[in-house]
Amino acid sequence: MNEDRKRRSVKSYKLLTTLAFVLLIGNTESFAETTTLSTVNTSSEQQQAQQIQGKIVDAKGEPVIGASVLEKGTTNGTITDIDGNFTIRCKTGSLLVISYIGYKTQEIRASKNVKITLTEDTELLDEVVVVGYGSQQRKNLTGAVATVDVNKTLDSRPIADVGRGLQGSVPGLSITVPSGEVGSDPVIRIRGQIASINSTAKSTPLILLDNVEIPSISLVNPDDIESISVLKDAASSSIYGSKAAAGVILITTKKGTKTDRVSISYSNNFSWAKVAKDIDMATINGMEYAIAAIERVGSTKTGAFWKLDKTSYERTKAWYEKYGSTIKPSDPIVYGRDWYLDGADKMGVRLYNAYDHMIAEWTPTQTHNISINGVTGKTTYNIGLGYFDQQGLIKSAKQDDFKRYNATAKLSTELNKYITVRTGYLFSQRTKSYPYITSSTTADPWLYLYRWGPLQPFGTDENGNIVRSPASEAAQANTATQRTNYTNINIGATVTFTKDWTLEADYTFANNEFLENKPGTRYSAADSWSAPILRKDANGNQIYVNQDGQVVPAGTAGGMTAYQLPYSMYTGKGANPDHIYRSSENMQQHTYNVYTTYNLNLQDQHLFKFMTGLNVVKSKTVTQWAQKTELLDFTNPQFDLATGTQTSGGKTYWESQKGFFGRINYAYNQKYLIEANLRYDGSSKFPDELKWRWFPSFSAGWRASEEAFMQWTKPVLSSLKLRGSWGIIGDQSVSSSLYVPTLSYNNSTWLDGSTKFIYYGTPSAVDRHITWQDFETLDFGLDARFFNDKLGLTFDWYQRYTRNMITPGVTLPETYGTSAPVANYGELRTKGWEVTLDFNHRFNNGIGINAMATISDATTYITDYPVGSPKTITNQSAYYKGKRYGDIWGYRTERLYQADDFEYNTDGSLATIVVDGKTMYKLKGENPVYQPFVQNSANFRFGPGDVKYKDLNGDKRITNGNGTEDDPGDMTVIGNSTPRYQYGFRLGGDYKGFDFSIFFQGIGKRSIWGDGSLAIPGYNVSDGAMAETFAKDFWREDRTDAYYPRPYNVGAVAGGSTSSNNTHIQDRYLLDMSYLRLKNITLGYSLPASLIKKVFLTKARVYASMENIITWDNLRGLPIDPEAISGYSMFNNSNYNSGRTGVGAPMFKNVSFGLQLTF
Amino acid sequence: MKTNIITRRVASCFILLSTLFISSCEDFLDRPQLNNPDDQSFWTQENNIRLFANEFYPQFFVGYNSSWTLDYSHFKGYMFSDDVVSKNVQSLFETSVPPSRGSSSNTTSAPAWMAQYAGPTWYFGWIRKANMMLNRLDTRMKGTLSTESMNHWTAVARFFKALDYCRLVSVFGDVPYFEAEFSTGDKDIMYKDRTPRNEVMDKVYDDFKYAIQNLRENDGNQCLNKNIAAGFISRWMLFEGTWQKYQNNDNTRAKKFLDFAVEASEIIMNSGKYEIATDMHTLFGSDNLAGNKECILYRHYDATQSVTHCIASYNCSYEAQDQSANLDVVKAFICKDGKDWQNSTVENADKFDLANLIKTRDPRFEASFLDKLNVSAAALLFTSKFVDRTGPKLTAPIPAKYYSNTNTNDAPVIRLGEILLNWIEAKAELSTLGETAVTQADIDKSINILRKRPLDEEAINKGVVKSALMSLAALPNDPSRDADVPQLIWEIRRERRMELFMEPSRLLDLKRWKKINYMKGSVKPDILKGIWVDLSKEMPSLLTTAKKGITQVMKADGSIVKFNGSNAADMVGFYLPEGVKDRDDFTDRVYLSPVGKSQIDLYTSQGYKLTQTKGWE
Repeated sequence: MNEDRKRRSVKSYKLLTTLAFVLLIGNTESFAETTTLSTVNTSSEQQQAQQIQGKIVDAKGEPVIGASVLEKGTTNGTITDIDGNFTIRCKTGSLLVISYIGYKTQEIRASKNVKITLTEDTELLDEVVVVGYGSQQRKNLTGAVATVDVNKTLDSRPIADVGRGLQGSVPGLSITVPSGEVGSDPVIRIRGQIASINSTAKSTPLILLDNVEIPSISLVNPDDIESISVLKDAASSSIYGSKAAAGVILITTKKGTKTDRVSISYSNNFSWAKVAKDIDMATINGMEYAIAAIERVGSTKTGAFWKLDKTSYERTKAWYEKYGSTIKPSDPIVYGRDWYLDGADKMGVRLYNAYDHMIAEWTPTQTHNISINGVTGKTTYNIGLGYFDQQGLIKSAKQDDFKRYNATAKLSTELNKYITVRTGYLFSQRTKSYPYITSSTTADPWLYLYRWGPLQPFGTDENGNIVRSPASEAAQANTATQRTNYTNINIGATVTFTKDWTLEADYTFANNEFLENKPGTRYSAADSWSAPILRKDANGNQIYVNQDGQVVPAGTAGGMTAYQLPYSMYTGKGANPDHIYRSSENMQQHTYNVYTTYNLNLQDQHLFKFMTGLNVVKSKTVTQWAQKTELLDFTNPQFDLATGTQTSGGKTYWESQKGFFGRINYAYNQKYLIEANLRYDGSSKFPDELKWRWFPSFSAGWRASEEAFMQWTKPVLSSLKLRGSWGIIGDQSVSSSLYVPTLSYNNSTWLDGSTKFIYYGTPSAVDRHITWQDFETLDFGLDARFFNDKLGLTFDWYQRYTRNMITPGVTLPETYGTSAPVANYGELRTKGWEVTLDFNHRFNNGIGINAMATISDATTYITDYPVGSPKTITNQSAYYKGKRYGDIWGYRTERLYQADDFEYNTDGSLATIVVDGKTMYKLKGENPVYQPFVQNSANFRFGPGDVKYKDLNGDKRITNGNGTEDDPGDMTVIGNSTPRYQYGFRLGGDYKGFDFSIFFQGIGKRSIWGDGSLAIPGYNVSDGAMAETFAKDFWREDRTDAYYPRPYNVGAVAGGSTSSNNTHIQDRYLLDMSYLRLKNITLGYSLPASLIKKVFLTKARVYASMENIITWDNLRGLPIDPEAISGYSMFNNSNYNSGRTGVGAPMFKNVSFGLQLTF
Repeated sequence: MKTNIITRRVASCFILLSTLFISSCEDFLDRPQLNNPDDQSFWTQENNIRLFANEFYPQFFVGYNSSWTLDYSHFKGYMFSDDVVSKNVQSLFETSVPPSRGSSSNTTSAPAWMAQYAGPTWYFGWIRKANMMLNRLDTRMKGTLSTESMNHWTAVARFFKALDYCRLVSVFGDVPYFEAEFSTGDKDIMYKDRTPRNEVMDKVYDDFKYAIQNLRENDGNQCLNKNIAAGFISRWMLFEGTWQKYQNNDNTRAKKFLDFAVEASEIIMNSGKYEIATDMHTLFGSDNLAGNKECILYRHYDATQSVTHCIASYNCSYEAQDQSANLDVVKAFICKDGKDWQNSTVENADKFDLANLIKTRDPRFEASFLDKLNVSAAALLFTSKFVDRTGPKLTAPIPAKYYSNTNTNDAPVIRLGEILLNWIEAKAELSTLGETAVTQADIDKSINILRKRPLDEEAINKGVVKSALMSLAALPNDPSRDADVPQLIWEIRRERRMELFMEPSRLLDLKRWKKINYMKGSVKPDILKGIWVDLSKEMPSLLTTAKKGITQVMKADGSIVKFNGSNAADMVGFYLPEGVKDRDDFTDRVYLSPVGKSQIDLYTSQGYKLTQTKGWE
């Protein structure tokens, strides 16, 4: 069988190599020549040797398959077979080097019938870490580079992408998953949440796949990954130049194995998802809240399309008692029983739960991966295929899912001892399909799940017509797709001039295509938003019903005229989404990297490594879109089947960068390590005189444990390294029109006939002297290992300055007529620390345990800002010198007012007094604290049950002073929206084939002031929906210890001005977004090798894995995921669903099962 | 050896590639942005300056605005006046100096609308745009444009600049005047203090004069021309003239601006192009106003272009009228004999129930309101002026043009009706300043033309007839007339209130006449009441148990009756909106808006001074 496989692999080897050659040189003849040569070499070296046999096993006694056995100092070697056996011809007594990935390399004297036990390599100092343009032994690292244990972190997890998998496992790498939207990218930051306040500058790290920038981490198939390094400080990342300013994530993909065999792996995962947190929306309690809120201001009726008053509220309660348990969501909506008409108003009686109609449960996901890799002669290859299919949560949608196909191939062959050539190919297709319900991203169907209250109907009416709702629209909507096709082709070579001098050259062409198709429709339904019509029978006779909704003859006691919702096509012709829209974006990128490395070793004492190279990137992106309205066929929306207006547009972007770089590493006696980098960068983003810049960086390390005087610590301290680094990188991630005053083209809303006027806007003011932002990082760290390497500790402290930060210019008076031009006026400082602990131990009885914990923190201050900028505290996104990023200014809440705080008139009504021009309820006591400044509505007066703010400055008034840091009145910093103390910890173990791991992840501290019906008690009460948390715990005369204040309708004003009356930003109702998540539990079982080898398997593992399974948070039951970012989603990253908090696709949890096989 | 050959080939390959990359160094990093023209290269042809100017149109010629935006729109944009009443407390005047009153965002966004001032915030983006246009015409386009074109486009820029200064002055009084474009380095210019109103308005006067003399008679459909400019000049010169007379007591200046108002109005009146030829609902509810001879400029809407508005949906009963017409404005309508209700001899002229009002009042009453009480209006009298006859009557399913923000009826932006009223008012005011007296001929070619406006069939079927013409010899002597307002001017103002109900702008009228006290319930109690109702007959839904203690009417003797569950038959009287209360008291400082405190602080920190508006210091 082994022979068979070898033959097969030789064939494929020939095929692939030939392909590579055709690509590279176009000369197939020379190929045969080379192989002949190398064969001759090998056989000549084996002439004087004798046969040696041996067996290699691991700590558990299981044979190690495919371990490499090499005669030291030669190229003579072999690999172990399926039983761990090997034979090699060599001289007895020569040194054999035994190595296998994941185990410590051993050297033994060759002797007949040796048995070697390999020990696991958990955190070996000799481990090679991938760094910028090269690699480095871990022990010699001087920069802040974190590596990811790919196997433990990504294996067996039901996750869509690497980003989600890395959450919590690398300190300083902050990953947030803001919603459960399938196919969306997580938000990734390295060291702090912000690198620059300039909105066009990127704070996201550079993600490199085999040294080539990729547009999204989610295009990578987790199964293809061999290693991940995170370069955190400037000294490590500056070699990548101006795009790497916010850190680098280096991903390398699997290459061929090192051993002469073919390995085929197959793995799969089947998982099922359910909403992770109950969507606990108010029903009856919410109606009580609404009634209280309107009665307070003297109104009697409220509601959007479905109204509610005290009478209907009583009827709802009766309905709930009578039908609550018998009427199912699928039962039709019946006039008389479920609703009635009061004047022109539809009064709701029945309660509906949007969840029943909108959200699917246990939606499936599956993953399949196949990889083939091996080495034949001088050629290594790797082929990977992946398939991922994840269903979304929208229940009634025709299609709601995310699919990814991956195909990769890599081939490398050693032409001769000087030249190794390689080629690679990567294809990744991601497709997100979702119901195209609306073109709006500020009010999509998810918003409506949390907007209309429980009276807004779902389901069908008496006639069997579907009732207008987000669910009916999702069901009728056609499927939109967002497809990303990413392809890259790489050719490269390594030239080995001498043993110590190599040159690497690679050229990569990448093509990224983003295609969007949005086929619209027009909706028909029983229109729950419109005025009702009389319900008549087929003959046109009026129907009468009783209070149970049953049809009764006219004139029956208790009978009433029946109404129904008008069935209509309610989407106007050509109105949203009666159109077909397509867009495409094509990015082509050429990356050329060439660098040469020279190692100089002087008497094993002075080790030098010199590297110098060139990096050139150019890219061009072309976009276009087209839309045509008025579809003829709603089942087949096509451009040629639409009759309305056509619109289109498109843009072209191009940019280029060039960088020359060099690095020197020097190690003295393996103890003192120094590294220096220099990069000379040019960018097309700046005017000629500012195009080129120099960026230096340095780092140094001291391996203290190697000093003679430290030897006494050895039993405990296996190794200790102290390191420090300093570096500066320029950032050019800004718009290329930053220094050019441009005029923007737009369609006007001014019409001549049916033609829109077009116009050009006024050019904004620019500063022609704008230049690069510089990121300067200082880092101190230590790496220590204890107890024979079992326990490891890594610690880093850093400080990163963003110098010359691009900020809005010196504040100009509004008379200037436009914003002051941005320029390099600011400075920002992020300070933080990171700790990693790891532990590995295998007991003598075979039980292995491992643990890993990470924690990190970062805070950012604005250390410089244009002079004269007001230190505004009333706007969270205003910046000024000295401000800590993310600080939330607000009032302190003392408590809620109670009845005995106030004075009363003789008739029992509240006494009033005019304070600072406002009529207020009179408080008891001498000179009490009044709050006229925060009493903002004509129909609101602070009374019992309302918020009593704390008078921090003791002036007997609650004010914000002049709204600045210098005079904040009673405002103070009450929280910070930056995620602090991000941590993760994993515990794992294995025994006799069983393995187990459990992984937790969390955020220690984060606060936000939310927006919308889930975050603000009383938010737009008339819309109806609110979190049950508010509805069950608001102040009433008989519930004076309530947490939330007396109901009041907080009007939703465009721009999110919910800061008024009871809901000024304050500590009591600030959302505590800290959490701890049981992120993953995996239990696996690997079948014994002895059993599976009969079916030619080298590895067979089954496992069960659960993701996101429990979350502990401090949100008092509000249906908000603690990772939520208000207004952020893949569709709109600043004002998604009008910036309201938590109203996107809900976060989900998964249970999954999977299988992994290796042949 | 073959190996060496390969090595050499591969090596030369890379050397070649490297050379390619490095040799193209010079222009490799030259990647200017491609998507937008830049200021250096844009000013090459006349069409470009036209495209630049197009941005002004929807910002200054608002009509019904678009989508849900209500700024400057007829009806919803001009709700703050003595014409309407709301439930509970009436909306307030500004009570304190705001921290910020402006914006400096890019010019593509309009300044925020301030209902309490019927105007813009402290925003100079449009001034900057106009000044930039003047600068580019002068410095970049001299060789490109003919003299005629140059003069026309200069006039366009000066017109919009002057128009924006009129809006700013109407809100703030003194505003800094900027002659020309300036840069960030010109601190002394940008930090200049407020220029006295008179100086600003003299510049505006000159700009308007230039515009009238140099604008093309016709520059294409829907484009600014001499007549359109004249229309706006008529409006704003009347504003300034009367402001000077009543607020500043400066008759010389009053005359200067009133003369210009007359001149501008006459350009339109004498052009022969315009006439009052359609009824009110055709004027405000048509899908296409092209060819409507009353419109000097209209705004067109088209759903297929996604250019729609929401005003019609507020005029059908699908959106609530939180503020609706009060008794005070109803009483201002003349009866069909041309007299105010107290002087009228029309039968039942002193009755204020809806059926009687429709029969007895000027046709403009019937054209402005629905003939049935409607609970979606705070005071039950439902405005339906800004839509056709069909919309308010429909039951579901409602076509998109009547609900939500998908309405498509065209909006008159500036119409002859207003020009005639501007003209006659300016004439009347001038006659008090020593100019010739208004003649019957003047009345005949202005007010009486409006009174002869055609009626539509539905109005005729309801028995509505045109009012008697105004006769100078027989002006009614309204007992409720203010003592300081002459009889003729009083009647002209009344005509204006009827004709321009919910159009721009009753509030600015009150301000220029110095009559802001009309906004006080203590001065004008009728502004807090609705019309006469008999609820058990006309609106039984207000007499349900839920409405106990809430629904209320006021008897003729001023006593208030609240619904107690059993007195339905007694619920007859002037309707009082639920919980209605007068607005808080205010002083004369509300004539002008304060500037933001932060701007004043900013000036101080830079060593300059920005003076706060009088009364707000």
